[in-house]
Amino acid sequence: MKNILKYTGAVLGMIGMVSLQSCDKDFEETNTNPDATGRVIPQYVFTKAQYDGTSNMLNFLLGTMQYTTSYNDVAGFGSKYNAAQISQTYAAFNNAYPNEINELGIVIKAVKDDESKINLYAEARIWRVYCFSRLTDLYGDIPYSQAGLGYDSSVYKPAYDPQQAIYANMLAELEAAAQSLDPAKPTFGAADLIYGGATDKWKKFAYSLMLRLGMRMTKADANAARTWVTKAIAGGVITADADIAKMSYLSAGQDINKNPLALNLWNSDYIAQNGNTNTEGGKYQDVFITYLKNTNDPRLPVISVVWNNGVPDTSVALQKGMPATLTNAKPANFVSFSEPNPKTILLLNSPRLVFTAAESYFLMAEAALRGWYNGATASALYQNGIQAALRQWAIIGGSAGTIPAAAINNYVAANPLNTAGTFDDQMKQIYTQFWVSIFPDAQEVFASFRRTGYPALAPNNYAGNATGGKFFRRMLYPLTEQTLNTESYAEAISRQGENDLLTRVWWDK
Amino acid sequence: MPIDNTVPGGAPTVNGTTSNVDKGDGIAGINLDDIESITVLKGGTAAALYGSRASNGVILITTKKGRAQRGIGVEYNSTFTMDNVAVIPDFQYEYGQGLDGVMPTTLAAAQASGRRSWGAPIDGSTNYMGVDGKTHPYVAQKRNFQNFYQTGTTFTNSIAFSGGGENFTYRFSAADLNSRGILPGTTYKRKTFNVALSGKLGSRLNFEALAQYNLEQGHNRTGAGDALGNPNWTPLEIANTADVRWLAPGYDSAGNETIWNDAAIASNGYFVINKWKEDDVKNRFIGQASVSYELFKNLVVKGTVSRDFYNYNYVNILPTGTLYTPLGEYVGLKSDLSETNSMLNVTYRTRFAEHFGLTAMVGANSRKYENKDLSMTGKQYIIPYFYSFSNLASSTTRPFTGRSTTNSVFGSADLDFKNLFFLTFTAREDWFSTLSPKNNHIFYPSVGGSLILSDAFNMPSFINLAKIRGSWAQVGGGAPDPYAINLTYSNVPSSGQPLLNVTQDQSAQNAISNPNLKPYTSTTYEAGVELQTFNNRLGIDFTYYNRKTTDDIVKTTISSTSGYSSVIMNVGELRNHGIELLLTAKPVRRGNFSWNVSYNMAYNESKVVELAPGLTSVQIASSVGGWGLLQHIKGQPYGTIVGTRMKRDAQGNVIFNRGNHLPVMSDLMPLGNSVAPYTMGLTNEFRYGNFGLNVLIDGKFGNKVFSIFELYATRMGKLKSTLPGRDKGLQLTGVDQSGAPYDTTITQAGGVLRNYYDNYKVYSELFLHDGSFIKLRQVILSYNIPVNKIKIAKIQSASVSFVARNLFILYRETKNFDPEQSFTNSNAQGFESIGLPRTRSYGLNLTIKL
Repeated sequence: MKNILKYTGAVLGMIGMVSLQSCDKDFEETNTNPDATGRVIPQYVFTKAQYDGTSNMLNFLLGTMQYTTSYNDVAGFGSKYNAAQISQTYAAFNNAYPNEINELGIVIKAVKDDESKINLYAEARIWRVYCFSRLTDLYGDIPYSQAGLGYDSSVYKPAYDPQQAIYANMLAELEAAAQSLDPAKPTFGAADLIYGGATDKWKKFAYSLMLRLGMRMTKADANAARTWVTKAIAGGVITADADIAKMSYLSAGQDINKNPLALNLWNSDYIAQNGNTNTEGGKYQDVFITYLKNTNDPRLPVISVVWNNGVPDTSVALQKGMPATLTNAKPANFVSFSEPNPKTILLLNSPRLVFTAAESYFLMAEAALRGWYNGATASALYQNGIQAALRQWAIIGGSAGTIPAAAINNYVAANPLNTAGTFDDQMKQIYTQFWVSIFPDAQEVFASFRRTGYPALAPNNYAGNATGGKFFRRMLYPLTEQTLNTESYAEAISRQGENDLLTRVWWDK
Repeated sequence: MPIDNTVPGGAPTVNGTTSNVDKGDGIAGINLDDIESITVLKGGTAAALYGSRASNGVILITTKKGRAQRGIGVEYNSTFTMDNVAVIPDFQYEYGQGLDGVMPTTLAAAQASGRRSWGAPIDGSTNYMGVDGKTHPYVAQKRNFQNFYQTGTTFTNSIAFSGGGENFTYRFSAADLNSRGILPGTTYKRKTFNVALSGKLGSRLNFEALAQYNLEQGHNRTGAGDALGNPNWTPLEIANTADVRWLAPGYDSAGNETIWNDAAIASNGYFVINKWKEDDVKNRFIGQASVSYELFKNLVVKGTVSRDFYNYNYVNILPTGTLYTPLGEYVGLKSDLSETNSMLNVTYRTRFAEHFGLTAMVGANSRKYENKDLSMTGKQYIIPYFYSFSNLASSTTRPFTGRSTTNSVFGSADLDFKNLFFLTFTAREDWFSTLSPKNNHIFYPSVGGSLILSDAFNMPSFINLAKIRGSWAQVGGGAPDPYAINLTYSNVPSSGQPLLNVTQDQSAQNAISNPNLKPYTSTTYEAGVELQTFNNRLGIDFTYYNRKTTDDIVKTTISSTSGYSSVIMNVGELRNHGIELLLTAKPVRRGNFSWNVSYNMAYNESKVVELAPGLTSVQIASSVGGWGLLQHIKGQPYGTIVGTRMKRDAQGNVIFNRGNHLPVMSDLMPLGNSVAPYTMGLTNEFRYGNFGLNVLIDGKFGNKVFSIFELYATRMGKLKSTLPGRDKGLQLTGVDQSGAPYDTTITQAGGVLRNYYDNYKVYSELFLHDGSFIKLRQVILSYNIPVNKIKIAKIQSASVSFVARNLFILYRETKNFDPEQSFTNSNAQGFESIGLPRTRSYGLNLTIKL
C-alpha cells in the first residue's frame, strides 16, 4: 500500500508537472493568424476606402432617372418601383458602414495625431464627407457622429444624426480639411487613385463638394446655402478638365480594380454582347434615348448602341429606348433596343467621374441665376458646363468618346440658356442638361432632381408599385436596423417621418 | 478517440448560389459494418472524460475488435438499397402554362412563361408551344418529379477477418460503398480499410492499436439554396402543362445553356446535371495507439495517442455558356485538417473496509487542431469550355490556417457501498488557446449518485429493479474560432495598388474581436428513476433534466452602422429543461415467438434567457429573398422563425393599399418555433423462429417550418391556392389604410391577378406550416438462414433482411413536402428551401459469418 501511494504520487506529480508547465505554453503563437497582421498601413486602407466609396452606388437609380429599364420586375425596380423589391433600396446603407466608413475611421485614427500626416488626414476627411453625403442624400437622417465606432468605443447601436446637423458638420469638415492641406508635407501618393496625392486638386475637390452640398440646402435653409456656395466658389472649385475628380481603374484582374458601374452592367446584363440574351433584361429607357435623339445630342452614339446583325451599331437612326411599362415578359423586339456602348459606358478601365467640371459650372450657373455669384453670367456658365460635359466623354472612352470640337460648338449654339425666360425656365434648362451631363452618376442626378424638380420626368404607375406611382423621395433604412438598432431607429423615424419611400429628407422638405 | 465531424469549407447556406453544395461531414466516413455499438452520453456527466466539447453530449461509437477464437472469423456483409422521392407535391392542373390567361403559341411566349402556370384552362388544345419549340397538346403533366429524378441506389459490400488468441487479437475490414443519387449524375464512392489490434505483452503490459484509411469521392453533389445551379428548382417551377424532359439535354450544339424561362438565374436543371461539374476527393487517415501498464495490482497507467487527418480536394465548375454567368466561374478548395489527442491517465481500483469499492482516475489530455485551407476562386474562362484554374481571366488564391489547442487535466472517483449506493465525482480543468491568457482556463466539477432501492429495501415481488439517480454537473466550454481575441488586418486581393482591410470572418464580414472572452459554463441537474417489473417484462426509465448555459460565447449580429457586422461576447444565457421517458415491455414470450416493445418520448423546453445587454434578438439565417428569417429572440425558445403577416385591423379585416390593391404587410414578428419540443419513437420487435421483424415509428411535434418551395410555387401559379379569381376575377374585401371599407375585384388582365398572387411572397405566414409528423421510419424483416442444417463450408451464421426507411408518412401537416425537408446540416433548421427531395428507401441485406 505504501508503495502504491508512492508510485501514484510520482505519476500524479509527473502529470501535474507536465500539464502545469505546458497548460498554456505556445498558446499565443497558436492563436496568431499567420495570414493577418496587427499593423495598419493607412495608405492601403485608404485606397480600399476609395474603391468602396466609389463603388457604393444604387444602380437601379439609373432606372429611376429613366436612363435604363428592364422588362424583368426585379432588375426593373428602379424604373417600376415594384412593392416586392423595396429591399433593394437598403444596399447603399448596408454597404457603406462596414466598408468605406469603417475604413476611413481606421485611416483617420492612424494619421490624425501625426503632424507630418496632415495631408493624409485632410484627404481622408474630405473623402469621408463625400461618402457620408452620398449616404445621407439617399436616406436622410443616418448614423454619423457615432458611426463606425464598434471596435474603438464599443458603440453597437449608433444614434442617427439629423440631416441638418450632418450637413453642418460635413461643410465644416470640408472647410477645415481644405485649409489644412499643406503642399510641403507628404501625401498618399500613388495610393490615392483620384489625384495621386496632389494637394491643390484635393483642395478644389473639397470646395467643389462644398458647392454641391451648399446648393443642396436651397429649399431647407437658403441663407446657409448662400453662405456655403459663396465660400466654395471663392475657395476655388473644379473647372478644368485636368482637375476632375476621377477614380482610375484597370481592364483586367480583380473585380475591385475595375470600373464598378461598367462591371455591374457587364455582369448583370451585357456580358453576352449580342443584344438579345441580356441576363437581367436590361436596356436603355425610351425617355433618355428619345431626349438625346430629339435634341440631336452628339453624345447619343458615344453612349448607345443597337445590336444590328450581330454587330454593335452606333447609328443615330437605329437608336431606340425600351419602355418601362413591360410587365415581366421579354418583348419580341428586344434586340432592337439601345443598350450601353461597350467602348465607353461598359469599358472596364474607364475612370469613374466623381466630380466633374460640368457639375461645378451648372451649380455656378444656378448661383449666378440666384444672384449669389457674379464672376460670370449664368448663360456663359451654362455653356461652359455643356462644353465640359461633352468633352468629358473623351476622358471616359478615349477616341470612342471624343466628340469633335465642331460638334460641341454646334450643340452649344443650338442650346443657349433662355435668359429671357423666368428663373424657373432657366432652372429647367440647367437641370435637364445636368441630367444628360452627369449621367451615369444617377445618384447625384436623383438628388438634384429631388431638389429642383428637373428634369421634368413623368413617374411610372406600374401595377403593384410601392409608391402609388410617384417618384421615390428617399431610400429605406434596412429592416435589420429595426431589430438591431431599435431605439436609434425609432428616434430617427419620429424625427424624420415614416421609413417610407415618399418621406422627404430635410433638404427636400 | 475524438474524430473530426466538420464539413470542409463549411455547410451550404440557404440562399447561396455558386458552389453551394453540402460537401459531407466527418461522421459519414465510418463504415457501418465496423461499428459494434453506438452510445449517446448525455450532458454534463460525459464531460470529465471528454471535455468541453461534450457539453452537449457525446456520440460514442465503439468499433469492432478482434476476438480470441479458433481459426479466422470471416464476416461478409452486402447491402443494396434503392431511393425514391418520398413526397410528390399537390399542384393545380386546371390552368396551364402561360401568362394572364393566355396559352403560349410561340417559342418566345413559351420561354417567357416557362415557369408560369397562369395560362388558359387546360383543355387539350393542340396549338400549345413548348420551350422545345414544338407544339404539344395542352394537357396536365403530372409526372415531372418522377421523370426528373431517378431511382437512387447504394450498394455496400464489406468483409472483415478477425481472430486471435489469448495474447493477441486482430480485426481487419475492407468496405466499398457505391452510391448513385436520385439526381442523375450524382455519385458518391467510399472505400474504407480498418485494422484493429490488441495484445498482451506479458502479464502487465497491454496495447491496442487502430488504423483506418478512407478514400471518399463525391461527384456532382447537388447544389442547394438559390436557383442558380440548384437543379431541384426545375421540376418545382416548370409550368404544369410542360414536360420537364422538353428541357433536356439543357444545352445547344455549342454547349450553351438553353433558355426555358424568363429568369436566367433559374437554371435549366438538365444543363446543371450535364454541364456543371463538382468533384471532391477526401483521403482520410484515422489512427490510435494506446499502451497500458499495470504498475501495481489495481493501478494501471495508460497512454493514448490518436489522430484524425484528412486532405481534401474540391473543385466546382460553373461552366461557360451558363445563361446567368456566360463566362463561367471556378471554385476550388484544398483542405488539410487534423485533430491530434494525446492522453495519459492512471486508474486505481480497490475495495476497502469490507463494503466499499473505489475506482479513481486522474489524467491529462492535449488536443491539437489544425486546419489549412487554400481556396482558389476565379471567373471567366479565357478559352471557353476549358475548365482549368490556369484558364481564368481573374483569380484569387487565399490561404487560411486555423489552429487551436486545448490542454486538460482531469480526475474522477467512483465509490460504491455494498453495490447498493454509488457516488461519482469528477473534476476537470481545461486551458484554451483561443482565449486570452488572462482568462483562458476553467475548472468544472460534477457529482452524481444512485441508489438501488430494490436491493436496499424490501420491495413487492413484482419489482425486479428499482433505482433512483441524481446528478449535478458543470461543463466549461471555451472554444470560439481561432483568432477571435485580436483585431487584425488582411490584404485584399488587388491587381493594382495594395489594399488592406479588417480581417474578415468566415462569412466575409467584419467581426469585432474581444480580448476579454472567457470560457462559458453550462450547469445541468438531472434526476431519474428506473424500474424493472414483472420478471423484467415491463420497464420504465424516467429522467428530468435542467440545463442552464451562462456566459455563452455568442457571436452577435450588430447594427452594421457600427462598422462591424458582429461582435463576439460572453453574454448568452440559455435554459433547456425537459423530460425523457423510456418504456420497455415484453408482452409475449411463448415458445419461439417473442414480442418486444419500446417507446420513448422526450419533451424539451428551451428558452433564450439573455443575448446581450439591450439586445433582444440575433439573426441566424435568412431564406432566399429574405422572405423568412431565423432568429434567437430573448424570452423565446431557441431558433424562432420570424416573418410578416398580412396586416389586419382590430376586427380581423385585411388592410389593403388602395394604390396597388395589395394587402399591407405587417412588421416582422415571431411566427413560430423551428425546433420541435416533443419527440417520440415506438419500436416493435417480433421474433418467430428464424424470422425477425422490427418496426420503428417516430414523430416530432410542435415546430413550424417555412416553405420557400410553396412560396415560389405560389408565385408561379402552381398551387391550388392560386386558383380563385382566374376565371371571373378575385374579389378583395377588407378595409383600406384609412379604415374605410375596401371592396374591389381584380382580374388576370394586365397581370394584375398574377402580381397579386406573386406578392404573397412578402407575407411569410402564408407559407408557414406545422412541422409535426409521424413516420413509419424503419422496417426490417430478417431471416436467419438455418446454416447448421445446410452444412456447406463452415458457415456459422447467415441472414438476409429486407430493410426500408421512411416508408410512409403517417401524419403530416405539410401537403407539398416532407416536413423534415431541410437542405443543410447548419443552423437553418425551420426552412424548407428547395433542396434535394427526401427519399423513401428500401433494399436487401445479406450477412454471412464463417
